Amino acid sequence: MAYSTDMGVRAIHEGIAAGEFSAREVAEASFAHIAQADEAVHAYLELTEEAAYAAADKVDAAVAAGTFGEMGPLAGVPVAFKDNMNMEGTHTTCSSKMLENYVSPYTATCVSRLIEAGGLPLGKLNMDEFAFGSSTETSAFGPTKNPWDLARVPGGSSGGSAAAAAAGMACITLGSDTGGSIRQPASFCGVVGVKPTYGMVSRYGVVAFGSSLDQVGPFTRSVEDAAYAMDALCGFDPRDCTSQHFTPHFVDALSQGVEGMRVGIVPAFMEDPGLSDEVKAKVNEAARTLRDAGAEIVEVELPHADAAISAYYVLGPCEAFSNLARFDSVRYGYCDGGHKDLNGQYEGSRAAGFGMEAKRRIMLGSYLLSSGVYEKYYYPAQQVRRLITQDYVKAYEQCDVILMPTSPRAAFEFGEIGDPVEMHLSDIYTVSINIAGNGGMSVPCGLGAESGLPIGVQLVSPQFKDVNMFRAAAALEAAYGAAPVAPAFQAGE
Amino acid sequence: MKTLEEVLQDWEAVIGLEVHAELTTLNTKMFCGCKLEFGAEPNTHTCPVCLGLPGALPVPNKAAIESIVLAGLATGCDIEKHSMFYRKNYMYPDMSKNFQTTQGPVAFCMRGGLDLDVDGIGAKERVELAGLDAGESRGNATRTEDGYVAHVGITRIHMEEDAGKMVHIGGGEGRIAGATHSLVDYNRAGTPLIELVTEPELRTPEEARLFMQKLRQIYLAIGISDCSMEEGSLRCDGNISLRRRGETAFGTKTELKNMNSFKNLHDGLAYEICRQAQVLEEGGTIYQETRHWDPSAKRTIVMRVKETADDYRLCPEPDMAPFDLSDEFIENVRARLPELPDQKAKRFAAQFGLSSYDARHLVEHRATSVFFEAAMELAGDAKLAKPLANLVINDVMARMNADEAFDLEASALSPARAVELVKLTASDAISSKQAKEVFAAVIDEDKDPAVIVEERGMKQVSDTGAIEAVVDEIIAAHPDEAARYKEGETKLIGFFVGQCMKQMRGQGNPKMINQILAKKLG
Repeated sequence: MAYSTDMGVRAIHEGIAAGEFSAREVAEASFAHIAQADEAVHAYLELTEEAAYAAADKVDAAVAAGTFGEMGPLAGVPVAFKDNMNMEGTHTTCSSKMLENYVSPYTATCVSRLIEAGGLPLGKLNMDEFAFGSSTETSAFGPTKNPWDLARVPGGSSGGSAAAAAAGMACITLGSDTGGSIRQPASFCGVVGVKPTYGMVSRYGVVAFGSSLDQVGPFTRSVEDAAYAMDALCGFDPRDCTSQHFTPHFVDALSQGVEGMRVGIVPAFMEDPGLSDEVKAKVNEAARTLRDAGAEIVEVELPHADAAISAYYVLGPCEAFSNLARFDSVRYGYCDGGHKDLNGQYEGSRAAGFGMEAKRRIMLGSYLLSSGVYEKYYYPAQQVRRLITQDYVKAYEQCDVILMPTSPRAAFEFGEIGDPVEMHLSDIYTVSINIAGNGGMSVPCGLGAESGLPIGVQLVSPQFKDVNMFRAAAALEAAYGAAPVAPAFQAGE
Repeated sequence: MKTLEEVLQDWEAVIGLEVHAELTTLNTKMFCGCKLEFGAEPNTHTCPVCLGLPGALPVPNKAAIESIVLAGLATGCDIEKHSMFYRKNYMYPDMSKNFQTTQGPVAFCMRGGLDLDVDGIGAKERVELAGLDAGESRGNATRTEDGYVAHVGITRIHMEEDAGKMVHIGGGEGRIAGATHSLVDYNRAGTPLIELVTEPELRTPEEARLFMQKLRQIYLAIGISDCSMEEGSLRCDGNISLRRRGETAFGTKTELKNMNSFKNLHDGLAYEICRQAQVLEEGGTIYQETRHWDPSAKRTIVMRVKETADDYRLCPEPDMAPFDLSDEFIENVRARLPELPDQKAKRFAAQFGLSSYDARHLVEHRATSVFFEAAMELAGDAKLAKPLANLVINDVMARMNADEAFDLEASALSPARAVELVKLTASDAISSKQAKEVFAAVIDEDKDPAVIVEERGMKQVSDTGAIEAVVDEIIAAHPDEAARYKEGETKLIGFFVGQCMKQMRGQGNPKMINQILAKKLG
């Protein structure tokens, strides 16, 4: 069988092992597909052909030498990275004019782990500027379009990563998730998106937004592919002292089933007036599917979840304000020259280099941390954070995984949401998981009854028990089937 | 302007110090593996972390944390097991991340203190202690036989990172005024720095100077820094305010910078105290401002007026988890504590029968304490302890103070030569005056004391008959002076001693000359 851009990890691995196609052919076919598909989608900001072919040649050399079997399951698998991930020699723009010409002198740990595992790095993917947004509309280089409906947003901030996976423009893409930036676009684009427990994947080399909330994770079209990616990504990194020692066995866990597993649902979430009927129906359907597969459905409460979004919009901007202070035009990045004094250069460069949403968050964070204000917002937000974390700990006394909506609705149209506060509310089901540091993933459950667009449901694990959500996700996938490439971008069409 | 002595009669000075020490003895920076090296080519010891490149993350240097815990244990601090890093947010090009990683309300080391032994002229500056007997206390000070002991509280010692260095091009002498552009060297960025903050319990410039000296001795003893005030690895800022004697409320303080030697620290603070007194006595107002000590002009100059407190938007550092130091970690560090200067002074006093004054001064420098102990071992005679201590305190330290480049360890004055010299004096073979000459010659000519004595024909004449003959001759030659002496002008004895010594080419035993003169004149 020839290589097809619809293939998953196992098919690619078996095809290369059987000599049906080479890794170089995988790379060539991938770039050929991107050349066509990305005209419409605009997921990629930069292609890294040289690196991809170098990686492919290594794989093919191993095949020739008879050592392919030692390379691991990701050998020859096309991968791509959100543009806030450093990869030496590539631009790392964070979709901002501020870093338009910035070239990385080093490589992020998550990027090097996929490349060392034999992945073929195809390029860097569009995003909301500095990951501020839920639609990829804030990118300084134009929005990415949803492969299922080009008039709609792919979600965000990792919109390019979700769209690339959905359009078959890579098998595994990486995104980062601070408040829902992997799970919401995964739901919008009909792919699997995983935000691991905080500390499971190294953040080293990923441009920080909210350091205590950020986590890197994969987008794939199947739960199994996500498990392969997690097995390669997770574990301690001496360069990130918030990363934890953890030996992942995600692929192994998939066959364990959900017999006897307790799946929590949160009744208050299901009654939220903002929740669309089709998403509500999908969550209920998923609950029935899991019950039919042998799981027990229990009701749990997360009493402080209402406050999560408020706490998030205090903690996130505070950390972002501090993390983005380094973009000052002095060492690298956009520089508005010709000023007579330092402050003039700072102001001119930051005014022109940052987009509106970035400025909004920086100003908000600057205000929230100022003396007299800090006590009124930052402290209570930290207290809320503790309460929400305790809520989850308590809920997991009754269940092994929690099932809830990923996003209140399916993908919206470009320009449909103009009010930033309304945009922020699309994270309502995802932020509390970042606040508490748990693992969460969005699993595609087919198309919505009203919109006809992909809809994902969210599974949430206790900290470092992310295998729980993978087991449940595998059970859902058994019922719905692995996510297809968006119809317009399937191979052969 | 009044003198310090005059000012302190009416005003009480309230001084607090902030002391930064670079942990120069470590191999690597605070949050990355870059090498710590002074004077390397600009920007050669940098990496994504200390350059603040997007995506880089800090990893704390364990050895640096051991160093600060060691500093805390050596200065009587409580070690806080649970502390964390904070970000102090402000923008300046030498700060690559535009925030400084430092500590928040809880530092690694809290609530310590040092006892300062103040003697000599400086002891008189604490006017409130006048009239007290030894053992009596007032405030944080207790009167002793030769001065007083003051306990100065240490509020905290926290860990932070240093910034890079800016060089301004085109202006005069690297100054920013008139410069056309600036260069930044990030080699120093991320150097581990510990900042010690004292309670506002220092009352005189002398106490401030002694505090810094003692702290430096301790830091050198525990080996955490080379403590070079000239190169800036030990830096000190002072906060000074005045209040009328008897008042308890604090006055408005100024912050004083650029006190990069013990002398500058003392003189800068003394000037600032006198300046503030003058302003206040003329009915003026002290502004909260940062001032710069200019040692050549001998005055302090305003650098910056602080109208409102700086808002550094301090926030917890989310890239590093809070610390949870184990008892084992702390005890392992405690086991590394060497004998500290105070302990050494106590031991010297007990072991060699020295006064606490002598013992204290012997341990002022590591080199002098090592030298003294080595000499005592060679001497093998407890009676030589006092003369050897005198030699070290009076002659060696005078030499060290006069010549900054003087390195006792590398000098021609070995402990063995010191013992030989002291023995020559003790046996009356040479006079104490001659001993000073021999001391200088040993160092300058690199010869044994006995050789110098031999070469220069030095001999102390202690023969009663010979001295009597000279004394008779001198009295006969100066009948007028002899008569005046007899009439009560006894200070003329000095004149006669001088004449006798001159006659004997400096070799007469001064003690005997004195005795015989007094007898014959009287």
